[in-house]
Amino acid sequence: MPCQSSAGKEKGKQMEHDVLIVGGGIAGMESALTLGDMGYKILLVEKQASIGGKMILLSKVFPTLDCASCISTPKMAATSHHPNIDMRVNTEVEGITKLTDGTFKVKIKRKATFVDPAACTGCGECEKACTVAQPDQFNFDLAARRTAFIPFPQAVPKKAVIERFGSSPCNFTCPAGIKAHGYVSLIRSGLYDEAMDLIMEVTPIVASLGRTCFAPCERECTRGKMEGPLPIRMLKRFAADHYYEKNPHPPYGPPGEKRDKKVAIVGSGPAGLTAAYHLAKNGYEVTIFEAAEEPGGMLRLSIPAYRLPKDVLDRDIENVTALGVEIKTGHRVQSLAKLREDGFDAVFAACGAMQDLKMKIEGDDLSGVEGALTFLMRVSSNEKTDLTGKTVMVVGGGNVAIDAARVALRLGSAKVLIQYRRSRAEMPALDAEIEDAIEEGVDIQYLKAPVRFKGASGKLEAVESVNMKLGEPDKTGRRRPVPIEGSTSTMKVDLCLVAIGQRPDLAGFSEKDGTALTRWNTLEVDSTTLETNIPGVFAGGDVVSGPASVVEAVNSGVRAAEYMRRYLEKEELPGKPMAQPPAVVDRDDVLKRNEGITKLTPAKIKHLPVEERVHNFKEVELPFTEDEARFSASRCMDCGGCSECHQCVHACPANAIHLDMQSQSEELEVGAVVLSTGFQLFDAHLKERYIYGKHPNVITAMQMDRILAPTRPYNGVLRPSDGKKPDNIAYVLCTGSRDHTVGNPLCSRVCCMYSIKQAQLIMGALPLADITIYYMDIRAFGKGYEEFYKQAADMGVYFVKGRVGSIEPADNGNLVVHYEDIEGEGGHKTAEHDLVVLSVGLFANPEAGDLFQGQKLDLDLQAFINEVDEDIDPGRTNIEGVFAAGSASAIRDIPDTILHSGSAAAQAASYLERRRAAK
Amino acid sequence: MTERRIGVFICHCGGNISDYVDVERVRQAVEKEPDVIVSRTVMFACSDASQQEMIDAIKDEKLNGLVVASCSPKLHLYTFRAAAERAGMNQYQYIQVNLREQDSWAHRDDMEKATQKGIRLVRAGIAKARASEALSTFRVETKPSVLVIGAGIAGLRASLALSDMGLSVFLIERESEVGGWTRKWGETFLRDKKGYEYVEKLEKDIKGRENITLFTNAELKEQAGAVGNFDIKVQVKGGDAISLNVGAIVVATGFDSYKPSEGEFGFGSPGVITLPDFKQIVDSSPEGKIEVNGRRVKDIAYIYCVGSRQGDEVENPNTYCSRYCCSATVHTAGLVQRKDERINQFHLFRDMRTYGKAELIYEQAAKHGSVFLRFQDAPEVRSEGEKIVVTVKDELSGGDPFEVAVDLVVLVTGMVPRENSSLVGNLKIPLGKDGFFNEIHPKLRPVETVMNGIFIVGVSQGPKNIAESVASALAGVAKSAALLMKGYVELEPFVAVVNNDKCTWCGACMEACPYSAIRKTVAGSKEVAEVVPALCKGGGACLPECPEDAIDLRGYTDEQIRSMITAMAKEVA
Repeated sequence: MPCQSSAGKEKGKQMEHDVLIVGGGIAGMESALTLGDMGYKILLVEKQASIGGKMILLSKVFPTLDCASCISTPKMAATSHHPNIDMRVNTEVEGITKLTDGTFKVKIKRKATFVDPAACTGCGECEKACTVAQPDQFNFDLAARRTAFIPFPQAVPKKAVIERFGSSPCNFTCPAGIKAHGYVSLIRSGLYDEAMDLIMEVTPIVASLGRTCFAPCERECTRGKMEGPLPIRMLKRFAADHYYEKNPHPPYGPPGEKRDKKVAIVGSGPAGLTAAYHLAKNGYEVTIFEAAEEPGGMLRLSIPAYRLPKDVLDRDIENVTALGVEIKTGHRVQSLAKLREDGFDAVFAACGAMQDLKMKIEGDDLSGVEGALTFLMRVSSNEKTDLTGKTVMVVGGGNVAIDAARVALRLGSAKVLIQYRRSRAEMPALDAEIEDAIEEGVDIQYLKAPVRFKGASGKLEAVESVNMKLGEPDKTGRRRPVPIEGSTSTMKVDLCLVAIGQRPDLAGFSEKDGTALTRWNTLEVDSTTLETNIPGVFAGGDVVSGPASVVEAVNSGVRAAEYMRRYLEKEELPGKPMAQPPAVVDRDDVLKRNEGITKLTPAKIKHLPVEERVHNFKEVELPFTEDEARFSASRCMDCGGCSECHQCVHACPANAIHLDMQSQSEELEVGAVVLSTGFQLFDAHLKERYIYGKHPNVITAMQMDRILAPTRPYNGVLRPSDGKKPDNIAYVLCTGSRDHTVGNPLCSRVCCMYSIKQAQLIMGALPLADITIYYMDIRAFGKGYEEFYKQAADMGVYFVKGRVGSIEPADNGNLVVHYEDIEGEGGHKTAEHDLVVLSVGLFANPEAGDLFQGQKLDLDLQAFINEVDEDIDPGRTNIEGVFAAGSASAIRDIPDTILHSGSAAAQAASYLERRRAAK
Repeated sequence: MTERRIGVFICHCGGNISDYVDVERVRQAVEKEPDVIVSRTVMFACSDASQQEMIDAIKDEKLNGLVVASCSPKLHLYTFRAAAERAGMNQYQYIQVNLREQDSWAHRDDMEKATQKGIRLVRAGIAKARASEALSTFRVETKPSVLVIGAGIAGLRASLALSDMGLSVFLIERESEVGGWTRKWGETFLRDKKGYEYVEKLEKDIKGRENITLFTNAELKEQAGAVGNFDIKVQVKGGDAISLNVGAIVVATGFDSYKPSEGEFGFGSPGVITLPDFKQIVDSSPEGKIEVNGRRVKDIAYIYCVGSRQGDEVENPNTYCSRYCCSATVHTAGLVQRKDERINQFHLFRDMRTYGKAELIYEQAAKHGSVFLRFQDAPEVRSEGEKIVVTVKDELSGGDPFEVAVDLVVLVTGMVPRENSSLVGNLKIPLGKDGFFNEIHPKLRPVETVMNGIFIVGVSQGPKNIAESVASALAGVAKSAALLMKGYVELEPFVAVVNNDKCTWCGACMEACPYSAIRKTVAGSKEVAEVVPALCKGGGACLPECPEDAIDLRGYTDEQIRSMITAMAKEVA
């Protein structure tokens, strides 16, 4: 047949699609269906999660008062089922390039929705499980929805998506990848056990972290830009304490499924315990060798009990031993290679950095000069140390220095002072710890450091120090301390604890095993897999990094466990990278999103009074009550959208949720392009005198349409401030239209009619309500529109000619409308209403202008796509083969959109056929 | 009929149904129904997994009837029909029972009764499936040609686009030349391009197309046949009737300008003219002055809404707004101002409907000195010597009477439907209350009519400006092409069938059919009714009219409906 379409028959070029249609609103669907019926293969790209555009969200449509859903859904279903339409939702067009042969190269990106659409059945279980609420954009923020959600009941396709603006800063920052936002949102929801489970997905030492973590998450917390960050660490502690109270012992045992492989772990600190925990959960037989008499590494030896009580640490460790992990204490490993020979299939060295650095000044071998860590370990090992009446000096500014000073205080010292060679600002110890120390009576001397230890008979008697000033910044960016000449002073000191750094005690691994070392005397490992130069021997924690934090050690435990698993399962190393979180959200965007949010004074973290704590090792920091925890968690602004609490993952019966999903780009070729990118609603905030966003009872007409829709957010017409049924409603026409002050001189064409429609619907819902429409001209120009207008007037809608100047709040949530009374007596008048609806105008969606590469798509002054000859060639743009459909080129009502889209379809088909004929 | 083997799947809809209807009880209640081989509940019938389960069941159990009790057929009728097809079952032996919209959602307050209703609904579905027949769509070959009626701007542009798509076009025009109203215009809004230049270009293009045949002085005389295959007779003035065979018909017959009655706003007296007449005067005026009847025009009053938005003050009022006139008038005022900027222009209007981008023309007119006076009570027009005095109660000045003395009154006349009665009779497409052709659905199907394959475009459907008329014309082209480019149409098999043994040909069915789908024919030795499947829409209007009970409707046979009623009426244990 001469007239059969050239679908997919591009000569010399096999294209899967003939026409790209951008935008799946009513215009895009109409163009797609018409072209699809002609036999062309259509690629329909929609950036939202459902097709249907704005029309599906409307209540009814004028002038027929058809239910918008009822007439949209069949179109949506037809579009999704059409054999010639390849529908891609959640997809954006990244770029279109016209090729010399008249076809187009198109780059599209399927956004990660974190739900596999093929597996999702739209059952909504994820929605029920989700712990994060967001304003529902499909209800124009009138109500909340979950972050895992199905856009609206009639969505096509009916698939859930998870909204992520990016990684929440707290989640993104955590060195161990613990989902801080996740457990915060779980605690907020009262799901404490789930919060604990979520943290236990990463590490078993939850209570320890809850007490000792330096909490980089809190520094990044967006709420910190307001009244203060969330106490995230305290919330973690709350979850752990709550769980341990309920479960004095782990409620689980070793995993049912065992693997026939043995793993040795050297060191039972945070890295070793975490790695052991994951490997044991995977079914490996894990043995930890610990040199000390009790497990815990630095957690036990270095961190004093008043910060981390030993029984709490014991309970954390029980999380590991319950899995069947054996911890051999008092067992110092001499050779890593030997462990392999002894039958361990893999080895993880996590033996920490336990050796104090020396000051290397005169007298540092005197008795009474001691490494601070050595001192702390001594005390932790219950070695009796009585410092009653002594003067103790601590040298250094890190946490070990502070810990040593406070421990010394608790052992009865008469005076404890710290000398730190820089100023307070450079001090690496946690602020809270420094403050606690000062509160307890520790004297901190800044810009001062010992130059000589003086003693007699090998015993320290005094310390000679020099004052410092800060010079140029060094490599770390901190200003280098420079001694001030002639400023030395000497003081009498009984014990000087040196806390200027630690390094690993490698126990001769290097000599015996040939283990490669870095120049900092740490173990050298592959930065990804953590494998050392000895196959099957991995290393992590401080022994690799040098002294670092607990949470960083946890991270190396997680990482080592994964790569050791790959090694043991003979998978390729490194293989697929471990899951990468999405980019972190812009915190300014978060603040903007949360504009106007109530400030909530952070809950105070309580401490034992100084006099009750300074002479003993009782835990200083007091736990949050449940109320404090819930309150604190409720301050979370859900920066990233999804909190990664994983509840949806557990709830989904179809295993459809993959939080590590990545967006996917694809390049395709098409023969023609139809742009049906629609319009944007006027942002009523910009019309400040109408106080939208400042007064809850000033709403937009789109919101009213939602209120009137069958899938409405409230069960009836009511006003937002108090749920009262309004009985005197005002419509303000031309809000954002015919208004140069907002940059829109154009008439938006549909506002008169939709307002009249809403007035009629409200009269049905609230028969006693008075409705006043303030207008400039009633533009009831379409078929049946004038009659529809008359019908509203006959029903008793008041039409008042006059532009509204401003709106002001009145008593009882009411509003006063100032307007010019043109038809009546003239002049400025006021009227009180209990609800004001702004009939917002429609603006161009400027996105279409950015789609093309190499050639510029012509836009008009208002950023609508320019139709180069709209009278004779409606829809044709300046780029041959590219056509606009619907409101992309000018605001259109639905019937005109249908006509215009049909027209664009005809134009696209003509283009394809003319090109084919020309060949 | 072979042995019936029916599968029943009852959907939980993830709680949407099962929260209010005890689906397991429904299943138990129907599993022993005659011929039910498979009865299962599923969480989501529409999920791929459940569809596969159905397909497997159809194949394994050799099912020849499928009932899915889920949601509205509007959602998933085609989903499950397709599943049945994939399993090798006839798709029309699939029956959907709406257990959600018609049961669970409607009776959330009473699970017991909702469950009982559910049982009855599913039993009825099973009964319908038991009496279902294997049907097939029927295919009607379509002719790759289109008749376009009217060669105004819409008809001309439609013809070219149809030709682009490889379809043959027969374009008929009642007048002796093409171009309709547009041919008369110089500059038009919004683009200030000249109407006659548009027409000249289109006319030239059309003459260069081999697959467009233009008949001027020609009218449609007869139409028979149905979608894809219309038989047309065209009468050319002074010649023989020409027979054509086309697959679709595009009606682009345009409009007439409202003609005011004698004395209406002074119409008939010198110095009172209509907008179309004035527009042509302006277009042909030289720079510097505008003359009407040999007299230079200094002051003009435009009276808007003449013949539009009429109320009860006239008989058979045109209640509608003619849409184009406000924009056309302010645009004309701009042309006037450019020709002779000394002319004073007064616009007496009701609502200024310069919608969309035309608002800018309105702004320009106001900026350039046009005076706008809004009225509610009709202005009065009287002659006073050389001048015509128009009195209007201006709203802006508090309703005080305001007199303007002008030398020209332009009546802004609206659009009225063409006198098209013979066309209406021939095509059997309905007119709306306003006298313009009526579309099948004003929102979503504005160019389609109840007659499959006949499309209404341009102003024949309702007032439009040039760009809108052309958009509508191309939309009609798109619909025609969608119909014809495949070469055939597939129609649903739900049509009426006549039992020739019973039929005694009384003609009652033919009378009842709104689609003219029934005609008299001879079967053997007797006259009987015959249903033309391509025309029948399965509406069923003929069925109750038949005194002999000789007509049945496929897919909704009397047997099916009766058995459904019986099944539904059966007590729920």
